[in-house]
Amino acid sequence: MRASASPALVFLSPDKIKMAFALEFFLRRISQGVLIVLAVAFVIFTLLRIAPGDPTRIILGPMATPSAMEETAQRLGLRDPIPVQFLRYLGDIAKGDFGNSFIRGKQGGTTGGSQDAGSAAPVERAAVIELIARALPYTLLLAACGFLLACLVSIPLGILAGVRNRGWPQKTALYLSSFFVSLPNVWVGIVLIYLLSARTGWLPAIGYQHIGYVIIPAIVVAVELAPVMIRSISVAVAGNVQEPFYEIGQVRGLSARAMLFRHVLRNAAVPLLNSFGAQMIGMLLGGLFVVEYIFSFPGIGLLTINAVFQRDFPVIQTVAIFASTVLVFINIAVDFASTTIDRRLKF
Amino acid sequence: MTINRREFMKATTLSVAALSVPAIASRAFAASGPLIFAAAGTVTSSWDPTSHTVAPQITAEGFLFGHLTKCPMTEANPGEILPDLATEWSVIDEHTLEYKLRQGVTFHDGQPFTAADVKATYEYASNPDRPASAWYPGRVDVEIIDDHTVRLNTKQYGYPALNFWYVSSFLPILSAADIANPDMLKQRPNGTGPFRYVETTGDQIRFAAFDKFHEGKPSIEEVIWAYVPDANTRVLGLLNGQYHLTERLEPEQYLSLQKEASLKTDRSLSSENKYLHFRCNKPPFDDPRIRLAVCHSIDRSQVLEIVGEAGQASNCHLSPVKFGFTDVKTYPEYDPEKAQALLAEAGFPNGQGLPEIEYITSVGFYPKTREYGELITAMLQEQGFPVKLTTLEPAAWEEQLYRRADGQGPGHIIDVGWITGSPEPDLVLRPNYHSQFALVNGISDPQIDESLEKERSATSTEERLKILQEETLPLIAQKAPSISLFSSVFLRAMSAKLEGVQFYPNGPIDLSKATLS
Repeated sequence: MRASASPALVFLSPDKIKMAFALEFFLRRISQGVLIVLAVAFVIFTLLRIAPGDPTRIILGPMATPSAMEETAQRLGLRDPIPVQFLRYLGDIAKGDFGNSFIRGKQGGTTGGSQDAGSAAPVERAAVIELIARALPYTLLLAACGFLLACLVSIPLGILAGVRNRGWPQKTALYLSSFFVSLPNVWVGIVLIYLLSARTGWLPAIGYQHIGYVIIPAIVVAVELAPVMIRSISVAVAGNVQEPFYEIGQVRGLSARAMLFRHVLRNAAVPLLNSFGAQMIGMLLGGLFVVEYIFSFPGIGLLTINAVFQRDFPVIQTVAIFASTVLVFINIAVDFASTTIDRRLKF
Repeated sequence: MTINRREFMKATTLSVAALSVPAIASRAFAASGPLIFAAAGTVTSSWDPTSHTVAPQITAEGFLFGHLTKCPMTEANPGEILPDLATEWSVIDEHTLEYKLRQGVTFHDGQPFTAADVKATYEYASNPDRPASAWYPGRVDVEIIDDHTVRLNTKQYGYPALNFWYVSSFLPILSAADIANPDMLKQRPNGTGPFRYVETTGDQIRFAAFDKFHEGKPSIEEVIWAYVPDANTRVLGLLNGQYHLTERLEPEQYLSLQKEASLKTDRSLSSENKYLHFRCNKPPFDDPRIRLAVCHSIDRSQVLEIVGEAGQASNCHLSPVKFGFTDVKTYPEYDPEKAQALLAEAGFPNGQGLPEIEYITSVGFYPKTREYGELITAMLQEQGFPVKLTTLEPAAWEEQLYRRADGQGPGHIIDVGWITGSPEPDLVLRPNYHSQFALVNGISDPQIDESLEKERSATSTEERLKILQEETLPLIAQKAPSISLFSSVFLRAMSAKLEGVQFYPNGPIDLSKATLS
């Protein structure tokens, strides 16, 4: 209990104290999170409008007249000062309107270049939310498969390396991690497509027709995540195995396995959860974008990269806001879970 | 460590599951079925051909729409015109062309093709407020003589009808009923071409063979246009059998794919030339001597070495597959002495006193632009030009390319490729070199304007050819508002099982006679 607990709390039951703590925790963290998301949104919003590359040119195509471009820019609201545009954007978001793509039409065409005043009207362009909703399941599938594959490899190896601090498990963990972390995921992706699909025909590779198409991209994602996981797990486990309680517990009659699963792993879980929340989700997000592009996998990553090439501001902004929101939420959840696992912690 | 039965079962099940994974992924994806084309670009959100000028959609429209005539545009015979929806064509007088139309042709929606459709198409699309009216030499009136005969009449608009001679092979024929209902026109394409539009899902467009196509139903039942922006992905998809046809290979990919037994490659000259445009309406390139000095400082043979299979040497501002192409004898060659003499004459001996020159190029769109950009920068610096190279990704480069509302464009030298359909040379020359347009370089030279008007007003193709080859093109080479570095060669690859494909130099692909076994 904190020394500065208010006197009123002394009269509340333990359950109510827990709830009060949880409430205060979530309120504080969510309001911080909202500020973070707003800051991210503003930075992306501004950078898009300052960096060279005019979306009106891309929307209207090569032979557009300057007057047609001005007209379209006015209609899209791109000529107002940036703070004004941003406030207007926030207002729309508050109403749940994330805007329409500058580039993608309802029918699915994906470049601009149409100078028709009629078809450049926002109502004919696809809603950003729809585009994201269509792409999100694929990204979640790929993320889940990649993460699971990484766990399958990293958890056994990491635990082994942590428990047996010498010998082949530890060396394997070290060398494997170093090897994987040195491989750029772009290169791994292309090589795996070439070896596992083009040369041998074992697996499908590009796009998505059925679940088999997830396998190679998931391997690439796993290759990127595994080194960090192996390292974190082995360090956390090793740290605990070296504590006196590990040997003392065994002296007292608990089997090595019981010590491991009931105590060591639970202690190790907190730093692992933190590493997961802070590092790995970020790595996962970044890695997914590139992997989806190489594999033409129809998820959020491919959507966003194409949006960047085509200067599709609304899509880029919305994805940035969603991504930062997800990251903030996961960090909040991870911190809360940590306080549950280890009651000494207070976030 | 002891192994008990439970753990053994667990381990066995897992390994069996792992080993049977390849069975899920059998080669079903490479079985016979639709032809899948991995395209480097994709269409806009409007299917109205008059609403855009983007090359990938022109390629897609090639599957769907017919034209009055067809021009194969080969290097051996760039001016060849073949019948398509028109069977005969003739010059009636200076302002009138007559076309006899093919009978028994139907649109995808079942309506018959008649003269009314040609009238509606040409009059609608040549209207200056249509964005793609830039493809038309001007407005035109179409007279219906009978259901299968039309006359194009340009008398009211003051230019010879002969200007439609080649362009008629490029302009897609739309249905009069659709033109009367523009929303329909935007939503789905309805043409007389060998394939009809089925649907679009995400980045894929499906086309199906049109059974009433006037040259016979194509043997390929279905074509899928898959938008795959990454060149590596396109190549890998070809290698593992997912794609059957792809475009825009890099030179190294072309060379390595040539060794693949399961693939065929195709290398054909395109109607595109790569240019370095000078900004001619501001110093230092408002002085033609300095522009020529730059031209004489560039050794184009070295540029071609870098570009390799993706380029072909040409001494002309037109590609060899365009009508009017000639090997211009006075085209500026690599001549450092002449470059220095010109610089001295212009008052900048050895380049001293010149303002910093910005050379803008794109990366990731045309092959090797960064590499030969660095080479050319070095060549220019060797002659004393203070050149700074700026490489931009395609969207940023495209924004800097065209002149803005104030008539000025950023930088001083800018790299661009210009590709046009049909052999018609004015599609290249007028937008770039006539002072009324000069979209990139801003040149305003009365002699060039006069020569362009003269060749456009020629009353016979022979006369026009003569003017272009002997006057206009040499003049443009002499004034050098831009220099054409080389003509682009399109590098493509396809499954070895695909036969009978014909490629047009500006992108469209003719699959009407193709077979995929």
